Amino acid sequence: MIAPYLTQKTWLHRIAAGYKLLALAVISIGFTQLSDWRSLLGATLAVLALYLLTILGHWSRLRLYTPLLPLLIGIGALQACASGWEMAVVSITRLVAMILLADLVTATTPMLAMMDALAPLLRPLRRIGVDENQVSLAVALVIRFMPVLLNEWTQRGEAWRARTGRRPPLRLLAPFAADIIRLADHVAEALDSRGFQVKRSQERSKD
Amino acid sequence: MSSPGDRNIILSGVSLARQDRPLFDGLSLEIAEQRVGLIGDNGAGKSSLLRLINGLLLPDAGSITVHGLETKAQRSSLPGKVGFIFQNPEHQIVFPTGAEEIAFGLRCAGGTAKEADAAARAFLAQHNCADWADAAISELSDGQKQHLCILAILVMTPSLVLLDEPFSSLDLRSRMKFMKMIAALPQQVIMASHDLDVFANFDRVIWMEGGKIVADGAPAPVIAAYRQRCIDSIGHAP
Repeated sequence: MIAPYLTQKTWLHRIAAGYKLLALAVISIGFTQLSDWRSLLGATLAVLALYLLTILGHWSRLRLYTPLLPLLIGIGALQACASGWEMAVVSITRLVAMILLADLVTATTPMLAMMDALAPLLRPLRRIGVDENQVSLAVALVIRFMPVLLNEWTQRGEAWRARTGRRPPLRLLAPFAADIIRLADHVAEALDSRGFQVKRSQERSKD
Repeated sequence: MSSPGDRNIILSGVSLARQDRPLFDGLSLEIAEQRVGLIGDNGAGKSSLLRLINGLLLPDAGSITVHGLETKAQRSSLPGKVGFIFQNPEHQIVFPTGAEEIAFGLRCAGGTAKEADAAARAFLAQHNCADWADAAISELSDGQKQHLCILAILVMTPSLVLLDEPFSSLDLRSRMKFMKMIAALPQQVIMASHDLDVFANFDRVIWMEGGKIVADGAPAPVIAAYRQRCIDSIGHAP
């Protein structure tokens, strides 16, 4: 979810995208049903072990989680103040486990396979005029461009630090959002020029 | 394979405005040469002209015919004939691995997942880039990414390749390699660039300013005139 596709083949690469998404959904629901912090901590440690064994040798991948740390710490602190430390452990472990599992799925699933697996699930959206192929492509694009966006944010932050010597403020989010909109425009043009829109329109007109 | 007669690009009285700002006002132009360069300052209309030719922009008035296809009426057929290389490969590559990126175009053209994947891998191997099939895009250099963009276009066997400032992120070695690849293409090529040296072996260069053609002809005189105008406008020789 937050890092690029893992090109080194693992046992998870051999499993079809649909099964992986199904397992992810079932396990995630399972995690929401657990409320005891000890069980959740144990389950999360098991997920972490599975994650580390799968990405063996690609430890730099863990660095991509750094931007999530402030968010997790913030949520944990809020929960600890509002409902006690046990609730904080429950919330954090749930989130961490789900993020790790989602990352394992996206890291080991080719994007086109992911789109093919998502499209049938999204087909009911046709009834309200939404093209499932476009939605599945949108999901794929979010995954593809997450590292690009993180890199853009880092560059903006570095430019700010170079000029001010201070940490980048939240107001940098506004120009960053403008960058994202520009990027979206460029990607839309690239897709259009390669016939994506055209093909999907033709498919829909045949239906 | 297109016949020579199909290789014409004809713009007749093309007008286009964006946000009430006129970009082109009755532009007429015919392009039949195999290698054509577009030069001019930023905002001269080079990128907009390329976008008009591949149907990303449609004219408010006038008509554009590209290799026998009228861009307004036959826009849906253009992606099969016209390949477009954008300035920043990072914005053009949609998928996280090389094989998927190549396969995407084939699937858009109607191929099945398996066929497209097999054809993409074969195509990469044929171009001595088999290693990129499972390589993460983020692991490729800017030059390799631009190369992959070209391959993703070529796999669709277009008859026309448009390139919009393709060198901006490339180092000298990558740029030379890229130009060698462009020179070997059998397709008609129209390229916009600020790097004037790359047009030395082109058949024709068009200098644009404010959506109008200032000079048009063989590369050497057109480039010399543009260079002189740049020198004059800053007041002294560089």
